[in-house]
Amino acid sequence: EERRYRSASGAPIALWRRQHSASCRELTVRCSRLQLRSLSAVTSAVWLTAYGLYVISENSMVLSAAIFIMLIGLIIYLHFVKVDQESLLVIGSLGIQVTSSYASGRESTTFIEMGQVKDVVINEAIHMQKVIYYLCILLQDPGDPQGIYEVVPLFQSSKPRLDCLIEVYKSCQEILEQRKTAPQSS
Amino acid sequence: NSPAPLPERAIYGFALFLGSWFGFMLYLIWAYIPETWLFSLGLTYWPQKYWAVALPAYLLVTIGIGYILLFGINMMSTAPLNSTHTITDNYAKKQQQKKFQEEAIPALRDIPISEVNRMFFLPEK
Repeated sequence: EERRYRSASGAPIALWRRQHSASCRELTVRCSRLQLRSLSAVTSAVWLTAYGLYVISENSMVLSAAIFIMLIGLIIYLHFVKVDQESLLVIGSLGIQVTSSYASGRESTTFIEMGQVKDVVINEAIHMQKVIYYLCILLQDPGDPQGIYEVVPLFQSSKPRLDCLIEVYKSCQEILEQRKTAPQSS
Repeated sequence: NSPAPLPERAIYGFALFLGSWFGFMLYLIWAYIPETWLFSLGLTYWPQKYWAVALPAYLLVTIGIGYILLFGINMMSTAPLNSTHTITDNYAKKQQQKKFQEEAIPALRDIPISEVNRMFFLPEK
């Protein structure tokens, strides 16, 4: 149920697939944790610069300011920026739930009901001087099934590559196809 | 409206060439010859010589900023990932469906992204 892939920038990510029932699937993309070597590199760079400034300016506030900035910066980064895993829970007749959990344990969840979901597609777009593939949910207005109302991009932080996206796309399409056939049978 | 060489264009080109040489010579004369010599000739109404150095400096900085500005404008006008402009636009929404005719090439139309995805990523057979 676990497969290893690469993200758009080359970092290794893992895709977990779980099937809870015939019409319910959960797909989770897990990014790599905060590396100790990058953390120590940034910490030593900031502290050595602060020490250099202290030697030049003879002001000890520089040292305490550097320690403070490092701590606050690290906490803000872990709480708001660093995403541990992003998961997609597709429940056949109910809706789609998108969860991102951050490194500090915070989780932010969005639920979209099935009436609003038109389709889940892989779209390509220009992003920061590159063309990337990304999975997105197309939302429709329940009263107007032809128009695309909004686009919700998924897996924004982990940015998986096309091979991982195709797996997720196939899993989602298997569940979304059921809702076309289900109203006729019941 | 072809870019071929014409006699009128040759004349325009030559006039521009002479004009730009004249302008450059005038700029050099104004920048280098001391003011007293110009006053003795009777030409007194010139801009301050400060501008002979300031204007090229301004021009170079503008060219440098222009590169960065163009880059920034391009990045700003790229549609963000969550906008519908990456999927469709006004022309595609209002297109009319032509009837399918046997033995004829199908009409050109914008294929919806769901269909394209299904064709690419869900190989049935």
